[in-house]
Parts: sequence; C-alpha cells; structure tokens
Amino acid sequence: MHGRAKAGVRLFSNRSARLGGAVIAALLAFALLGPFAARHGPLESDFVHGLGADGVPVGPSADFPLGADRLLRDEFARLAYAGRVSLFIAVLATLIATALGALVGIVSGWFEGARARVPWAVLAGVAGAIAALAEGRAGLAVLVIVAAGLVAVRRPSGPLLDVDGWLMRLADVLLAFPFLLLVMAIGASLDRTTAVTIFLTLGATGWLGIARVLRAKTMQVRSLGYVEASRALGQSTAWVMLKHVLPNVAGPLIVTATVLVAQMIIADSVLSYLGVGISPPTPTWGRMLFEGADDYLVAPWLVAAPAGAILLAVWGFNMLGEGLRDALDPRDA
Amino acid sequence: MRWIRATRRGPRRGDGAMRASLAPALLLAVAALGCHTSLSPPIPAEHGDDAPPRRGGTLRLATFKDIRGLDPAGPTEGVANQAIHAIFAGLVDFDDRGRVVPDLADRWEIAEGGRVYRFTLHEGVRMHDGEELTADDVKRSVERALHKTTPDPSASYFEGIAGYAAYAEGTAEHLDGVVVEGRYVVTFRLEEPDATFLSVLAGPTLRPVCRSAGDRYVDTWQPCGAGPFKLAPGGWRRGASLRLVRHDGYFRAGLPYLDAVEWTYNMQQLTQRFRFEAGELDFLHEISQADQTRFAGDPRWRPFGSTDADTTLYGESMNTTMPPFDNVEVRRAVAAAIDREHYRLLKPAYVTPLDQPIPPGIPGYASDDVRCRRGQRYDYAAALEHMRKAGFPYDPATGRGGWPYPIDYVVYDQGLLIYTAQLLQQELAKIGLRIELRLVSWQTFLTLQHRRGGAAMSPGNWAMDYPDPSSFFEPLFTTRAIGPESTDNTAFYSNPRFDDLVARARGELDETQREALYREAGAILCDEAPWAFTFSYHFVSERQPYVRGPLQHPVWYVDPTRTWIDRSDRLAEPPAGSESP
Repeated sequence: MHGRAKAGVRLFSNRSARLGGAVIAALLAFALLGPFAARHGPLESDFVHGLGADGVPVGPSADFPLGADRLLRDEFARLAYAGRVSLFIAVLATLIATALGALVGIVSGWFEGARARVPWAVLAGVAGAIAALAEGRAGLAVLVIVAAGLVAVRRPSGPLLDVDGWLMRLADVLLAFPFLLLVMAIGASLDRTTAVTIFLTLGATGWLGIARVLRAKTMQVRSLGYVEASRALGQSTAWVMLKHVLPNVAGPLIVTATVLVAQMIIADSVLSYLGVGISPPTPTWGRMLFEGADDYLVAPWLVAAPAGAILLAVWGFNMLGEGLRDALDPRDA
Repeated sequence: MRWIRATRRGPRRGDGAMRASLAPALLLAVAALGCHTSLSPPIPAEHGDDAPPRRGGTLRLATFKDIRGLDPAGPTEGVANQAIHAIFAGLVDFDDRGRVVPDLADRWEIAEGGRVYRFTLHEGVRMHDGEELTADDVKRSVERALHKTTPDPSASYFEGIAGYAAYAEGTAEHLDGVVVEGRYVVTFRLEEPDATFLSVLAGPTLRPVCRSAGDRYVDTWQPCGAGPFKLAPGGWRRGASLRLVRHDGYFRAGLPYLDAVEWTYNMQQLTQRFRFEAGELDFLHEISQADQTRFAGDPRWRPFGSTDADTTLYGESMNTTMPPFDNVEVRRAVAAAIDREHYRLLKPAYVTPLDQPIPPGIPGYASDDVRCRRGQRYDYAAALEHMRKAGFPYDPATGRGGWPYPIDYVVYDQGLLIYTAQLLQQELAKIGLRIELRLVSWQTFLTLQHRRGGAAMSPGNWAMDYPDPSSFFEPLFTTRAIGPESTDNTAFYSNPRFDDLVARARGELDETQREALYREAGAILCDEAPWAFTFSYHFVSERQPYVRGPLQHPVWYVDPTRTWIDRSDRLAEPPAGSESP
C-alpha cells in the first residue's frame, strides 16, 4: 500500500483522531448551521421575550435554547456565531503561523552551520514590512514582501550572513516572552481590534515552535542521499527546499499545526476575555465568557456554554493532533 | 465508555493523552456543578450599636476605575476625589446631607450683597508637613490652582473671583480677589453675587496645599494637605493601589479612627465581589445587578446594604464640532431614537430613565409637568423625521439611507457602559447611524473624550460636584468650560443664549428666579441635544457589619473620617505609616 494511503488508514483507525475529528466536525456544523437554526439574530436584543417575569433575562427555553444574555440576546445564536469567529480566527492564525514557521524553520535548518548570501532586496523588504506593520498596514507589509521576493529573484546579490544564527536568535528573543503576554501586549497596543488584526497578531507571534521543530527536521533531511543528489545536479536551493525538504517535514508540520489551532483558540479567548480581542457586539467565545461571568451564579449557562465550546474545541484539536502524530509517524505506531 | 475499556487492553498513546486532557474538563465540570450558590455570611461586629468607636485598622476599598492624579488643582474625577477629600481639608465642606458646613474655616460672613465672603480659619491647624495653616496658605493655594499653567478643566467655576481674568491671562501677578486680612482671616471678593460660591469652594480645587506644593502646579508633587489622612510613603502605586495613613495632627481631635485607608484600582467587579465576600474588602460599591439581587434577597446581608440618591447623570455625548453631530438635527434624531426603558432593563436596581439634564437627587430636577417638553423622549417617527431634515433620510424597510460612514464610539470595557454602548448601536442602527465601538483603557478614554477632536461620540456621565444644577450645566455645557487642552464639555457645545442663562442663574440669589433660569437653560439642552440624556444612576453599596460609623457620602461617595473597624483581629495590623506590601 502507498505510504499516504497507509497513513490514512492509520488515521481512521486511531481513536483519538476519530474522536477529535468528530468533535471538530460537530463544532463546525454548529457554527455554520446554528445561526440559521436560532430564532433570533446573534446581535439583536429581544426586549419582549428575552426578559423573564422576575425582571432578569430568561433562562433556557424553546425560544432561547441557552437563555438570554444581559442584553437580552439569544445565547444560542451568539454561541454559534462566535464559533464561526473564533474558529475562523484560530484556523487563519494557524495558517499564517505555520507558513511563517515553515519558512523560517526550513531556511534556518538548511543553512545551519554555513553562511548564505541574502539579497539586498530581501533585507530591504523585511525592514519595509516591519515598518508597515508598525503602522498597522498589514496589506502593505505583504505587498512589500512579495515585491522584495520578485526583485530578489532578478537581483540575488547581497551580503553573506549567518542566516540560521540571525533567525534563531530572533526566535530566542521572541520565545523569551510568554506567548500570551506577547499577544496581549500587541493586542493592547492596537488602536482598533478586528478579526484581521487578531489573526495577524496571533499568526505573527505563533510561529516560533513550528520553526524550531522544522529546523531540526530539515537538518536531518538535508543530508539524505537524494537531497545531496538533487543539489549535485545543480537544482536551485529554493527548488530543493520546496521539492524535497518540505514533503519530508510535512508530517511534523501538520501535527504541530493541528495542535497549534487549539493554542490559537485559547489565545483568542484570552484576548477577548481581557477586552483586547474583537470589539463588541461581535461575539467570541472568550468575550461571552467575560460577559457571563458577572451573572454566573444566577445564570450559570451563560458561562458554561462558551466555556464548554472552548473546552471541546481545544480538546478536539489536541486529540486530532495526537491521532495525526500516530498516523504520520509509523515507527511509533 | 468504549474508550475507557480500551485502556484496559494495554496502553495506547492517543488514549493516554485523551485521559490527560479530559481530566481538567471533568474537574471543571465538577467545579461548575459543585459551586455553591449562596452568599458567604457577613462577618459580624464585636460590639453592639452603642459601642464607642475604636482606633486602628485599615479600611480596604476597591474600584474598577483608576485615578489620574491626587493634586486638587489638577484634573480629577469622582474616584480621585474620594482620596483628595481625605488628604485635603477645605475651608468649607459638605455634610452627610450635601449641605455646606464649616471645615478649616470656623465661620464665614457674607457682605456687600453676596460679593464678599470673609472666612476665619480655625487656629492651630497642622498640615501634613507639620506647618500651621494660615491665610497666606489659602491665598497661595488658590493662586496656584487658578494659575494659567494649571491644567484644571473646572477653573471656569472660579471666574467670578475679582481679578480672575487678569490673573488667568498672566497680566496680574496675584489674584486680587483673594485678600489676606490677618493670620487667620481671608476674604474672597467676587465680581458679581454668586449663589454657588460656597458650594464651589467646598469642592476639591481650592483646598489648601502644603508649602511644598510651591506657587505653581507640577504633576510630580507629593500630595500634602490638612485632611484627616496623608499619603503613605510610596503609597500610590499608579494603576494599582493607593494607601493613605492617619494624619495624627488632624485638627479635629480624636479623628480619624482608622490607621489607614487603601484603595485598589483596576479591580474587576467580579473580583471585588469575591474579595468582599471573603472579607478581603470591607465595602462594596460597584455591584453587578445579579449580585445586588442576591445581596438584597439574603436576610443576613439586607441590613448592611444601602442605596444612595440619584445624583449621577448619564447620557450619550455627541461632539458638536465633528460630523455628523455638528448637525443639530442628527443630534435630535439620536435623542429621539433611544428608548430609555431599554437602558433601565440592563440594571433595574440602579438605573432611572431620564429625559432631562438634572438627576432626581439634585435640587432643580423637574417634575412631570415642567420637564423637557421636546427632544429627549423616545419617538421613533420623530427620530426618522430629524434624520430626513438633517439630509440623511433613512428607510427602515429597505435599510437604505442614513449617515454613510461609521461613527466611532469611544468607551472603556468595564461596568455598565459597555452594555449601554451595545444597546445604543442597536437603537441608532434603526435610524441609519452605524456606531463602531472603540474599546480603550480608562485613562485613554478620559484623554480622548476630553480632547478636541478626540471622540465623535462617547458615553457621558457626570457625578455632581455639589448638589445644584450649576454643577452639571457649567462644566458640561458652557462655552467657558472648554479649555485649550482639556475640558469636561465633551460635546464641545457652545450656545451664547445658554451661557447667558447659566451665568444669570449663578448670580441670582432668589431661589425661585434661579430655578426658572435653570429650567429655561435645561430646555435648550433638551432641544439642541449635545447629549442624549438617558438615565440617572444611584449606587447600591454593601458593607461588612464590622465597618462602623458613617462611610457613604452624597458628594464624595465615601468619607472615612469617622469610620471605624469593630474587629480586634483587624485592629492588630501594621502601624500607620508603613508601606503596603
């Protein structure tokens, strides 16, 4: 049987993966379909039916399956809508972090112990992107990086640098700050927080672990025979990295990225809970947890619902990651 | 369960991790199910109601807000004023019913038809630095507070003092209207009679400060006054806490009873409630609606709860210099679009819907027959009509029209206002105004709201400085309240007719005439709507039973001068003057 097919079989036979996958699928279905099933919009207060006879928001009922929040909004509709927001942010942030981490890890591992010529255009591009990000212009930063890459292909001249040393020292500096603290500091410094700024912030700070893992893996892969052969045939470094290194490090990359989604969900929830996440009234699970906290003794479902969603999502992605690790690493199976 | 049985057949990697990750989930679920729903019992006092006060102990208070400074001449707000009142005594003060009474001044005389106020100081008053308070100190403190370099946005209260204009412009070296007539006698001369002068004087701004304060305001000065408490060494940890200790030389013998008072700032409401229940806070002033319901419903706690009068005004402040609120019709539309009853539902025990600029607890609050007749009432059809007149017609059926751009609403993420902000979003969306919330810290909120062009719209709230309509009208809505750097007129509202009415009311000594002038001024505010007035607010408080003596105050919220602790275990604490850990 082909290696990938074998991995697929192992994945489906793994209980953790099945359970984690099922939980995630259920949450995704809830997030996508829940708002359609709810009788109220997630942002609308119902001043007629949302208030009980005792003058407090109604509890769970057919009309409000998870009760009404303090603003007399449908907690069920908000929970589902918040699922879209929270999962969207977590997945996008993970994609960004994974791409950054893979790039840094593979480049760093490949050039470990050697100096490499870094095109002036790349150095200028990095400086420009940092300046653009400091101004809060993420789109401009991406454009600068792309433009710098195109220029670098045509004009590869530049200084010889210890690329691995520079990249890993940068990672060391960032790793010195606790992840959540770093994210909170950036979140608090932003003038206005939207879904875009949140997933960019999380993505830009969440790549460190992946970079470390892939650097080590790349150092193993670069000395394999077919990689050496590919270099001997004169193929470019970028081509070898893309064609031979990346597929060989994909396993740990996928596993780490899956577990990272869980971390991103927690990070997004913490940001929202502390008031530096997406601004209200857009619901997120962390924000709902914060808003329900005041009333948790009289309306515990307002806390239990978002807390349960966070718990399930984090648990699901961790389980799936475990399953993937087992499936993609046949030596330990 | 199937996966649990599987573990008995032998270890599997995924299963082990699954159990490990489920453990916290189960713990959390058990904790959620097991959390008790009843309040902890109050911590009783040791003695009966007629017991004499005991000295010692530290009173521990908390708020989710923060303070910007402790200099009475500088920009202050309600939270800071609690501490400023404790540190700095005034010539006069407010008693527990909001009436002006003598304090550092033993007595005063009013002469020349209300143009001259002559104060005779209490002899032998010691400031925190040990120096005796004299009339020179009073004059120096007043000149320091009113100097043009002092960034006090409420300086407009004092424009009636003779020579103020020349002094404020810098053409006069001294303020002529404040005259030292002896070591213990100081006279204030006013340009015109001023019915509010004593009330204004009882506020924080002109309270005497130690000579270390110098002649000019500097924001690095260590607060030092003649109040019952003084700042402990290193006692103000910015953004965190404040510790005041007893001033042993306080001129009222035997007072205060407490060794110290501590405020913790930036503490979330929920944290306050837990710490109060655990006996780690002695007084709870910021209680959520849910907790208030629980305290009020518990017979053990009911005797220790109290409700203040409605003296705080809330509204939606619209910056009249920024679009779209430079258009009076848009402001009128906002005022008519808000259903105040919806605000009340957020916190029924605290909120009273309001359709006028004076809260019910303030003299001058208009009864049903004379309140604002137009403007500040929910009328959806009228709101749509105002939008049409403004040039931004909105069709609710199609959702088309309205102001085409989002409007920034600056707000901080604590307490009631973050919820009223979301309600406002819903209400204004129905007339074609899109509000985007901009969540900022308390400090940033104050900075933006009080700076020209800083916020197009923001929640307005104002706690009285003294119980009189002028305490609301003058700082919030008069042209002269707009300072070059900072202002409490957050709407930057300017109307000469309104200014004239308020000025005339201030000089009017006849109560009936004053009330009529203020009513007319209030009607202008209702109609032109620099704020959409939404509700008044009264605090509900809980105290532990061992906190004895008066504590709540109608102006200062808390006044711990005569408060004492009736628990021996709480009196055996670090001596006064020691730093907080």
